[in-house]
Amino acid sequence: MALSLQGVEKVYSTGFKALNSLCLEVGNGEFFTLLGPSGCGKTTTLRIIAGLETPSKGKVFIGGRDCTHTHPRNRDVAMVFQSYALYPHMSVRENLVLNLRVRRLAQSEIDQRLREVSRMLGIEQLLMHKPGQLSGGQRQRVALGRSLIRRPNIFLMDEPLSNLDLKLRERTRTELKKLHERLQITTVYVTHDQAEALVLSDRIGIMNGGDLMQVGTPQEIYERPSSTFVAKFVGSPSINLLPVTARDSEGGLMLCLGRDGLDIGETALPATQEVLVQARKTDRLVLGIRPESVALRHAPAPGTIPAVIEIVEPMGSVNHLIIRFDGMAEPTIDGEPFVAVVRSNERFERGAVVWLTLRPDRLVLFDAATGMALAALSDAGTWRCV
Amino acid sequence: MRMTRTAPGAVRIPAIVRPAARHVWPTLLKITTAVVVLVWLFPVYWIVLTSLKPVREINSKVPVFRFSPTLDNYRDLFVRFGFAKVLTNSIVVTVVSSLVVMVIAILAAYALARMRVPGEKHVALWILSLRFIPVIAVGIPFYLEWQQLQLLDTWLGLILVYIAFNLPFAIWLLRGFLGDVPFELDEAALLDGLSRLQIIRKIVLPVALPGIASTAIFTFVFTWNEYLMALLLTSVDAVTVPVTIAKFIMPYTILWGDLSAAVVIQLVPMLIVVFLLQRHIVRGMTLGAVK
Ligand SMILES: Nc1ncnc2c1ncn2[C@@H]1O[C@H](COP(=O)(O)OP(=O)(O)OP(=O)(O)O)[C@@H](O)[C@H]1O
Ligand SMILES: [Mg+2]
Repeated sequence: MALSLQGVEKVYSTGFKALNSLCLEVGNGEFFTLLGPSGCGKTTTLRIIAGLETPSKGKVFIGGRDCTHTHPRNRDVAMVFQSYALYPHMSVRENLVLNLRVRRLAQSEIDQRLREVSRMLGIEQLLMHKPGQLSGGQRQRVALGRSLIRRPNIFLMDEPLSNLDLKLRERTRTELKKLHERLQITTVYVTHDQAEALVLSDRIGIMNGGDLMQVGTPQEIYERPSSTFVAKFVGSPSINLLPVTARDSEGGLMLCLGRDGLDIGETALPATQEVLVQARKTDRLVLGIRPESVALRHAPAPGTIPAVIEIVEPMGSVNHLIIRFDGMAEPTIDGEPFVAVVRSNERFERGAVVWLTLRPDRLVLFDAATGMALAALSDAGTWRCV
Repeated sequence: MRMTRTAPGAVRIPAIVRPAARHVWPTLLKITTAVVVLVWLFPVYWIVLTSLKPVREINSKVPVFRFSPTLDNYRDLFVRFGFAKVLTNSIVVTVVSSLVVMVIAILAAYALARMRVPGEKHVALWILSLRFIPVIAVGIPFYLEWQQLQLLDTWLGLILVYIAFNLPFAIWLLRGFLGDVPFELDEAALLDGLSRLQIIRKIVLPVALPGIASTAIFTFVFTWNEYLMALLLTSVDAVTVPVTIAKFIMPYTILWGDLSAAVVIQLVPMLIVVFLLQRHIVRGMTLGAVK
């Protein structure tokens, strides 16, 4: 069922404002992920959807019906709690089927779903155990199973894979995706893990301090972040944010890196009139460039920027290179090192001098004062307003 | 070689003393425990012994340990003193009032632990202060009221009094125990479609069973042993076991045989209850519920 939050605000009894007039539309059957730093209000949002908290302001619609004050029992919403919340006195099997029993499903149906879910999560051997006898990852899978077995109106999942080891997490992630494709149940998913968010989601919402910063498909969020916060939060290693100044140049935009007036690219890039107007208004801009959009050469060429490789971090198929520019103590606005990603078969040694160019894809310009995006470089190679 | 091994005594002594010292403390502890247990158990042993003795041997100047046991005292108790009725009174009053107390206390404690109750901050103190009142201070007012309401010397009269006495303490204890059950279990159950009462019955009660068992024992034992109110509010029809036992101490004589038989009988239900419920007083029930 479709889900809609309209201007939802939550002020806790302590006076703490956890959600700030949140507006969110999740389509029927959509897989929506909330991503954000700890304490930004993700769990609070889920609890409001589930009806465990009442919003201080605003409305919650489920399937088009105003459910703001509907009792949680009557919403048919299943939630995987961040802390599992398994019933400790019941066996795994009893934990899983409690809801089906309450709803008086036929025993054959219960058995069939139990088999299916326990096979999918690899907990067939554990059905007779009590939660106290399980490992953290096993408990988490049972908690996930307790929701999956229900096929509710809406799934709410609060970091359901956080305690699994990498291999199991990837396997369960794939299973979740398959299951969602088959059942098409509206899902709101909370995670810290970007890879999970990118793989699973139809759309992602980035939260910060009780605000929804940006909503979009994984690709939109990755390529056209609306602010430096979103840009920094998504992508690993995270985006390089460089201070730049801009000036017009034959209908294009000439960007000068730092104070040294280094050109990026061989020619200035074309830009729409709108961008030029915007860029003229502020003299301080920030250029966001993904580490994989940095191209390195061993020899100088026109328009390249000389730099030194400070550290090489092998990551398997790729290497992360931490790069230092001559004459620039702090190349990025946030004091983070400048990172480039190269394939590990390209030989770049520590201490080597390289010349870098910025590939004209996935570049984003931000206003340094507000942190909001001004323009992004589209595939056509033209700066356009976002 | 042999010389150097045996000669330096300074090396050998600690080697001997240390393991010995390690055994001394546990042994001392065991002996102390045994002594304490014996001191505590001896009166019980003596009462049981006395209840099985013929009257002649009970009153002998020198304590008798070897005698032919008899159930005469028990027969006497039931035939001459109508103890069956007294026992019935005690059992009915205790069981009914304890059950009512537990049901009300669980509901009240759940509300206090989980929901917004107006003035809940003061409830705990208010509840405890009821418990601080000396029983004797309310005894006479109760007597007068019960006289008006014709509740004197009835089961209902005693049951109501015991509910009133036990409820505050039971609520106070249970509030703590139920408060220890993780909040999220209720919420998970709510989302699983259970009603509040179902949540209490199927989730909270089983998880808080150890605390509930302890509270039940407290309530049961207090009621079963209560003497003062029972003495004031009963005379013939509803007298309880403790009141009857006291009556065996007469102005000119003490009926030791009947008294000790009655005491043994009074002990039995308490032992049964404690043994039945202590199984549940284990810790770690909530293990595995939350991270
Ligand atoms: N019951 C409460 N009373 C008061 N403040 C609360 C309550 N629950 C949460 N908060 C506050 O609201 C903010 C958002 O909490 P929330 O649990 O939604 O964060 P989160 O995004 O889920 O974080 P995490 O990723 O660490 O789980 C936090 O700052 C938290 O301290
Ligand atoms: Mg959370």
